[in-house]
Amino acid sequence: MLRRSFTAVLEKGATFSGEFSTEPYEAGWAHEARWFVRVLRSDERVGLQMVPQISPDGTEWCDEGSGSIRLQGAGLASMPIMNFGSWLRLRGTTTGRTGSVTVLIYLALKE
Amino acid sequence: MTNHLHNRNRLCSTDVRLSKYNPLPRILYFDDFDEGLNGWCELVGNHTGDLDQIRPIAKDFRPPQLSSCTYFDIGTHGSVDGTYSLKLATRPQRNHLAVAIKRMTYAARGLVQFETYVTFKSELVPEGEPSAELDESSRWDGNVAPSERQFGEFTFSNDICVGETGPRCHGVVRYRNADPNGKLVQTWLYPTSVEPTTKMDRLGLVPSDSRPDFFAVSPEDWREVPGGRQPLCFNETASKVNWHYVRWLFDLESLRTIEFQCNDLCMDMRDLAVPMHDEEYRGLPNLLNLYVAVRTHLNVRNFLYLDSALVSVDW
Repeated sequence: MLRRSFTAVLEKGATFSGEFSTEPYEAGWAHEARWFVRVLRSDERVGLQMVPQISPDGTEWCDEGSGSIRLQGAGLASMPIMNFGSWLRLRGTTTGRTGSVTVLIYLALKE
Repeated sequence: MTNHLHNRNRLCSTDVRLSKYNPLPRILYFDDFDEGLNGWCELVGNHTGDLDQIRPIAKDFRPPQLSSCTYFDIGTHGSVDGTYSLKLATRPQRNHLAVAIKRMTYAARGLVQFETYVTFKSELVPEGEPSAELDESSRWDGNVAPSERQFGEFTFSNDICVGETGPRCHGVVRYRNADPNGKLVQTWLYPTSVEPTTKMDRLGLVPSDSRPDFFAVSPEDWREVPGGRQPLCFNETASKVNWHYVRWLFDLESLRTIEFQCNDLCMDMRDLAVPMHDEEYRGLPNLLNLYVAVRTHLNVRNFLYLDSALVSVDW
């Protein structure tokens, strides 16, 4: 059988301001993962920083530790994750001026 | 037909994954979620490319997950005959609904039967959570899990459209576990109004926002299936997973549910009318969609798990 893959859309045109996190997503079956964050629109001079987090149980979280995703204005950025536990999410915060960003967030998983 | 039955029975008696099912003569699909999501995906409201067009009630049904049923206290529980199951998870937000769908078309207007093994849970969180208003540990009797009353309901629905312009209907069966006050209801329900569509929304036939129930025009439009009270096995702690057999037999000719069975309760529903849409629908000939859903009534994540799913037909 071909190696399986699955892309989950964790946020679909959601608007955030300040600190937030994505919903927990189980990915224990996957060997590799990659986050894609697309900013559809943002208020002027409002940026976005997102940090991958991992969890053993879907309730308690720590930073994955390999870096973060940063976006200023509309655009797409991505970040790979390897050697994670069974659960993934992103911790995010808007940066710069007070305001909001509207995003699409994808989690691409592969066996 | 005889050969079909013979072949089916032979197949089911030699495959332990199938022997727990009772399929009609032809298996249309058998989805073991140890092998992937098998075409079950997130339902989304209609749009033309602009996400802002999506009805608010149909914009955030959440991507389904392959779950190993892993909890903070025991680690991995696993599924009936493997590790993974299909999991739907709500947000921890009152009235939030998660829906997964599998899309097909039918080749004849005969019987369609959906079978699955299902379980349901509210989120079990470590000590100190959730908020004090949901903490019932001081009243815990050691037997009944407080989190059982934090699980709202799960729903099975189909989406059937006959011919080029309809008729169209949604057969729907819901298990209401608890009401918003935390009182156990534990009853199977059916709707008395149609499942509102994007077209109905754009025609102004239903309120476009803040409607609390995706599957009916009003949350009041539900009736108990005769004989439909059935406590299910939640078990005493939210990390203890017991699976329930479900069988739903639907007739594409009469557009009625014939029988709905959960474990040892089999309900005859052929005299219960399925609400029909008055509008004309194009682009949907022979539509045969099936979806499963879970809704929380509190600010607590609710989960619905399917070990596997089997759909069989008599055509």
